[in-house]
Amino acid sequence: MKNNIIQFLIFEKYIKKSRQFLKRWDITILIIVLSLISIASFVFYLNNGLGLAYNDARSHLDIGRRVVEGLNTGFAQLGSVWLPLTHLLMTLTVWNDFMWHSGLAGAIQSMIAFVVTGILIYLFIKELGIGMIGRLLGVFLFVANINILYLQATAMTELMLLATMTAGAYLLLRWFKTEKLLYLLYSAFFIMLGTLVRYDAWFLLFLVSLMIGIYLFKKYNYKRAEGMFVLFCTLGGFGVFLWLIWNAAIFKDPLYFAFGPYSAHTQQDQLNSAGALPTKGNWLLSFKMYIYALAYNTGAFTMFLGLIGAVVLWMDKKIPKNIRFATVALIAPLLFNVLALYLGHSVLFIQGISGDTWFNVRYGVMMVPSIAIFVGYLVGKFKPLRATLIGLLLFVTFFSFTSGDAVTIDDARVGSSQKNVKEVSEWLKENTADKKGFILISVASHDSIIFSSGLPMKKFIHEGAGKYYKVAIENPDLWARWIVVRSYSDDDSTWREIKDKPGFKMYNLIDHYPFADIYELKPEYLENLNTEAVFDKNQNKQ
Amino acid sequence: MNFIKIRKKTVYAILITIFFVFVLAVGLRGNPGNFGKDDFFTLNWQGNGPFESSNDRGRFALTFSFVEDKSLNFSIPVANFAAPDLAITEDGRYASLFAPGVSFLIIPGYIVGKYFNVSQLGAFAVVALFALLNALLIYLIAKKVGAQTIPATLGALSFLFATPAFTYAVSLSQHHFSVFTLLFCIYLVLNWNNWWSLSAIWFMCAASIVIDNPNFFFLLPIGLFALGRIFYIKKEENGLKFIIKPFYIFTFLAMLPPLIFFGWFNKSSNGSPFQLAGTLERVLSLSDESNSVKGSSLVNIPLDKDGKIEKESEEKTSIGFFETRNMFNGFYVHFVSRDRGILWFTPVVLFGVLGLIIIFKKYQSISTVLIASVGMNVLLYSMWGDPWGGWAFGSRYLIPSYALLSIGIAIALTKWRGSFIFLLLFFMVFVYSVRINTLGALGTSAIPPKAEVLALEELSGTIQKYDFERSRDYIKEIGSKSFVYKVLVSKYINAYQYYNLVSGLILFVGGFLIVRHWFYGRSEISKKQRL
Repeated sequence: MKNNIIQFLIFEKYIKKSRQFLKRWDITILIIVLSLISIASFVFYLNNGLGLAYNDARSHLDIGRRVVEGLNTGFAQLGSVWLPLTHLLMTLTVWNDFMWHSGLAGAIQSMIAFVVTGILIYLFIKELGIGMIGRLLGVFLFVANINILYLQATAMTELMLLATMTAGAYLLLRWFKTEKLLYLLYSAFFIMLGTLVRYDAWFLLFLVSLMIGIYLFKKYNYKRAEGMFVLFCTLGGFGVFLWLIWNAAIFKDPLYFAFGPYSAHTQQDQLNSAGALPTKGNWLLSFKMYIYALAYNTGAFTMFLGLIGAVVLWMDKKIPKNIRFATVALIAPLLFNVLALYLGHSVLFIQGISGDTWFNVRYGVMMVPSIAIFVGYLVGKFKPLRATLIGLLLFVTFFSFTSGDAVTIDDARVGSSQKNVKEVSEWLKENTADKKGFILISVASHDSIIFSSGLPMKKFIHEGAGKYYKVAIENPDLWARWIVVRSYSDDDSTWREIKDKPGFKMYNLIDHYPFADIYELKPEYLENLNTEAVFDKNQNKQ
Repeated sequence: MNFIKIRKKTVYAILITIFFVFVLAVGLRGNPGNFGKDDFFTLNWQGNGPFESSNDRGRFALTFSFVEDKSLNFSIPVANFAAPDLAITEDGRYASLFAPGVSFLIIPGYIVGKYFNVSQLGAFAVVALFALLNALLIYLIAKKVGAQTIPATLGALSFLFATPAFTYAVSLSQHHFSVFTLLFCIYLVLNWNNWWSLSAIWFMCAASIVIDNPNFFFLLPIGLFALGRIFYIKKEENGLKFIIKPFYIFTFLAMLPPLIFFGWFNKSSNGSPFQLAGTLERVLSLSDESNSVKGSSLVNIPLDKDGKIEKESEEKTSIGFFETRNMFNGFYVHFVSRDRGILWFTPVVLFGVLGLIIIFKKYQSISTVLIASVGMNVLLYSMWGDPWGGWAFGSRYLIPSYALLSIGIAIALTKWRGSFIFLLLFFMVFVYSVRINTLGALGTSAIPPKAEVLALEELSGTIQKYDFERSRDYIKEIGSKSFVYKVLVSKYINAYQYYNLVSGLILFVGGFLIVRHWFYGRSEISKKQRL
């Protein structure tokens, strides 16, 4: 103590050593920290019962489960509407009842994707020449986003898409920087994976192909641009090609996913005819709607900082033009979503703008990694304002946690994405589990009931059950002891098929429930009922 | 020569101070006579008087109760007067919903005013006094960070009369007291770095919480900055040096007096030293109909169907008022909306942003504090469930930001002193802002949020305005709330003429200063060119 001052010194060599340590182990440390956060978050949502709040999460798990268990197992159960990669990955674990019913079979890939995306954000910012603080801030903004924490703990597909798209964009950046072919192929590979997760990545494929073509044409010549473009599209578009082939092979129409009866397009048409698709043909409203979704998912302040960060990055002459151009890929989700809303291929309800409900508001999370990168860059760039910006971001993040602000949870719990199927599934669980007989149901309408009942998949006869379904809708009284349908709704395919069949008259209506009614075969007809799986695999396919 | 210079400066300071005091005095809201229990529910004191909003009433109720009833808890009439900004303790006592600082700070004014038979006016005059001190602090801080005398004066002038700070300088609210703590701390860190200045900063930080609880967040940046004078890191050739000044740690003791007072108040009024008034159960109304506001067209207190008291049912915590979900809408309300937005009510402060950028280039550390304080202010009240601030004039919660941006105005005016275009543009926006904000000060400041207007229209059967036009209509149709107007001037001119006169006076002085500044700037530039 000298002059009323206490002081101690940390020698430069120790600082250097710790810097070297961080430099060497940064990714490992990040993997450990992010993994712990991911697991803690999953356990938290599993315990508070929100883990499977999304109706879609339960349907995703059922799709995976039907591939490995049920009356008609096999890859054809992957269906046509949702892209198959996440369901395929699920099949590795979903055979286990705990993995299926806890949602872990679907969440585990999201959790891995969460860790991977966090690391990719770190690496992306590093590629932009930003120091440790900016990089870590970018990761923090991604990780401390409750919407992300929630979605990575559920069996939804968003996190897988974020990981594949961010990987694609990161490797594209590497390619723009080095022009090494390998990076272009890696980028194409990850974008290809993305195209097998959600349709958003199809737009990224289109945008990135265009970017590569333009860049090479301007820098070299047409021939080189054409060659690389074809090469990139061949690998990047392979997933799209496979999906078209799949649809052609299974559903006899390569565009069945786009225009089939269960496609988003058909649903949007129904909404449009009901006047519930106001964004269609309206650029301004489409933009406004997505910006709101973005603000609610990322936080309004972070979003504004991200916008400033993007502008500063694109105007930063210290960063080579090609690098700046490569970062345009980061705004693909924004362009895609606005375009999809405008064209009427997507629907998004924001409470307060489109009535009093939420629907698909989670689409706003697609920009979270991009915003995190832009803000990380901004904070890394402006050293004098760094402490202020970090302080304000921490301040806002603190309040996002104290107020439990997760619009995706609201979307799942109170929005149109949720269905309260508890009563009907509880009835099935209590009254059918220990009795012989099948339940006839439509998965397109009631997948969440199947999941929530906790019954094995082989208890259900559904559209994907092959011959069982064909015979059951002709003579329900011979095959189904119980029928779950939404009475008088032709949107329910099972109802549509059986409503006029004579066998249907042999059932008693047990009760009406919010989303479905239960019918039970009258006891006097039980004698003729088939209660066992009788068709072998080949017969079932006929 | 020096003597003449000093005299010139002194005369300028005296004249400007007189002008500021004069405008605040002619704007100060009030009624003649000592305010008593018989006046509680009269239109003359509420709807058309100085207590038009529950914000005014709630704080004054505590002063009244403390001085007249010698109690920190409200009697039934006082509770009725304070509702709906009224709280009830666990053991059934009525208490103020606000932090007690303002109510106690205005007590001297109340007592002096009571002596002269204007108790309410005396209490309100304390707010005006703090507003004046804020103008002075803006002037001094602006000078310290490089503004010239006239631009520094214009910065202070802009804050006081061209922002909603004017409205809240002549009525009763916490804003000017909060701004004072913030500006005073900034002034202290700019001028001194010693034991006394740090003690004063901690004292102010603690006192600010007693004035209004969210002040904790606004003063956080300046608090951290001051903390950096006790603990800091220095980069040296052979490593990083961590330095602590142990004796400065004792400066934290200065926080004790305000915090002890706060604890004592909370214990006596709310039942526990740690029970903040805002976290008590709120009482929206009491059902004693004899005490309901008679003839008021502005206040509509809902009554419970069965019970005596209508309460809010939600569990409250001190940070539960702030939700990030509100932020996007909050930004819109504070910046763009017609009912509160800066763009409509006080666009002049936008010039301050330019000034802050200039300060940032010159004085990075202190400008970081200014920017962080503005950021905290904007973010906090964008997360607030009611960013409109109830029935208010302009975005009143951003008054601390207006003060800080006014420092920026002074710097921007200094920087572009020779630019005719810039000064002309500034003057035009200044004229607009003064005209708008004088409406709020002299007329009504109870402007409903747009969201409430439809329901109001249904109730009243008339078109309801939700912007400053409502204040203009008030002045034209009902009159002015100004004490001076009511007592002295109303015999000679109508309220709208009075409004024109007051705003004209401000614009004349402002215009004169800008012209003077432009000439001065031009001569400076030509001098430089000649050299």
